[in-house]
Amino acid sequence: MSHVEPLSAAEIRDPELQELIRRGEALGVPDALFSRILARAPTLAKAVLRALLHSHTEGNVDHRLKEIIRVQLARTAGDPYFGGLRSAQAIRAGLDEGRIAAGSGKFEDDPRFTAAEKWALRYAREMYLNPERIDAAFYAEGKRHYSEAQIMELGAFIAFHYGMQAFARTLGARPLPKPAG
Amino acid sequence: MALNPDKIDAAFYEGLRRHYSEEEIVELGAFIGFNIGYHTFFGTLKFYPMFAPDGRLVSQEESARIYGAAPASLAVAAK
Repeated sequence: MSHVEPLSAAEIRDPELQELIRRGEALGVPDALFSRILARAPTLAKAVLRALLHSHTEGNVDHRLKEIIRVQLARTAGDPYFGGLRSAQAIRAGLDEGRIAAGSGKFEDDPRFTAAEKWALRYAREMYLNPERIDAAFYAEGKRHYSEAQIMELGAFIAFHYGMQAFARTLGARPLPKPAG
Repeated sequence: MALNPDKIDAAFYEGLRRHYSEEEIVELGAFIGFNIGYHTFFGTLKFYPMFAPDGRLVSQEESARIYGAAPASLAVAAK
C-alpha cells in the first residue's frame, strides 16, 4: 500500500487523463498506480504523465537505451517502483534483462555497449552520484557521439525520470501485479 | 526527499495531512522531485541567471561571479 492512496479508475473522469493513464499502462511505465496517485492533482497529473511518456518514447535517442538508463537511475534513487517496471516497447524491440542489468553494472568494459551508449550510461550514473565529474570535457566527449539536441534530450530525460523516481520512492509504491495471461 | 528519503515514511505523510490535502501533497511531491532532478542537471550545464539582483542584464561570466562559479550540487551538499 502506498502512502498516498491512488484514486480508483471510476473516480478519474477526465478523458485526456484517462488516455494518458491508458498509454502508460500500454507502455508499462508508469503503471496505473503512479498515474492514479498523480490523478489526485489532475492538472499536474496530465503534465507529468505527458512529459514522462514523451521523454521516454519520443525523440532521437534509442528508446531501448533510455529504458536501460531509466532502470539504472531507479537503482541510484533506491526506487523499487520504477525499477521494477519495464517498457513493453523496449522489450518488443529486443531489449532483454541481461542488457538492462549490465547497464546498471560495470558497463564500461562490456562489449555489448557502443562507446556512445557507454557515454550515455556514464552521464546518467554520474549525474546523481558524482555530478562534479560532468564537466566541459565530459560534454565534449559526448559531442563526439551525439548532437547537442540528443544530449539535451538525454539530460532532460535523466533529470525528469530521476526526479519522479525520487518522489515515487517516498510513496512506498511497488509495481502493480501484471494481469494473468 | 533529496538527502534523507528514508525519513519520508508513513508517519511523515500522516504529519503532512495535518497541513495539506492529498492533492496538495501530490503536487508538492512531484514539484520537489522535478526540482531534485533538474537542478542537478542544470548544474552540470554551467549556466547562470541572465540578470543581476538589481535587474541588469549581465554576461554569463559576470553572473558566475555574482551567483557562484561552482554551484553546490545536492550530492555534494549531502557529503
